[in-house]
Amino acid sequence: MRNEIRHLRTEAKLSQQQLAEAMAVSRQTINSIEKERYTPSLPLAIALAHFFDTTVEAVFHADEHA
Amino acid sequence: MPTNMRSLIRSRWWMPGFCLFLGALMFTAFAIGGSPGDGAASFAVMAVMGAVFLFGRRSETLQGLGGPGRDERWEKIDVHATALSGLVTILFVLGAWLYEIANGHDGSPYGRIAAVAGVSYIIAVVALRRVS
Repeated sequence: MRNEIRHLRTEAKLSQQQLAEAMAVSRQTINSIEKERYTPSLPLAIALAHFFDTTVEAVFHADEHA
Repeated sequence: MPTNMRSLIRSRWWMPGFCLFLGALMFTAFAIGGSPGDGAASFAVMAVMGAVFLFGRRSETLQGLGGPGRDERWEKIDVHATALSGLVTILFVLGAWLYEIANGHDGSPYGRIAAVAGVSYIIAVVALRRVS
């Protein structure tokens, strides 16, 4: 799933480690999400969106509708 | 999973402690069977594994396997890895069972192991369907 995490993180001048600590996940998980290899759970997706003060739809983009 | 259990499994002491516990069980079983030397060797191997988990902090794989690096992504990896290893084991057991039967044996213990795998899978499916 495409996402804007890297863009939002760098805009907020945060490292992957800082974002990982804020989300209580590992740095590698943030890296995997940014590289779009891992789709986060709904709670984590919501937490990320809230952290960047935006909505889930603005952060995550489904490639296609089922 | 309850929060206390989750934090215990994420503790850096979880996997080293589990390795030592398993090593102690292996030593006890070997000692009861009259081979304390083999038991001591098994315990030593498990203790080394525990030390690798305890001190191998740079590796994400060791951190994930050992506990501290576990998060939702690791839980997903763990579930998939468990399913894959279970599938490989079941295929091996079924193959061994068929091989034993083809050689004129009764297929034990592979038949019973395959039965346990099949029944536990069905029970798990029924239970998980109810709670999800």
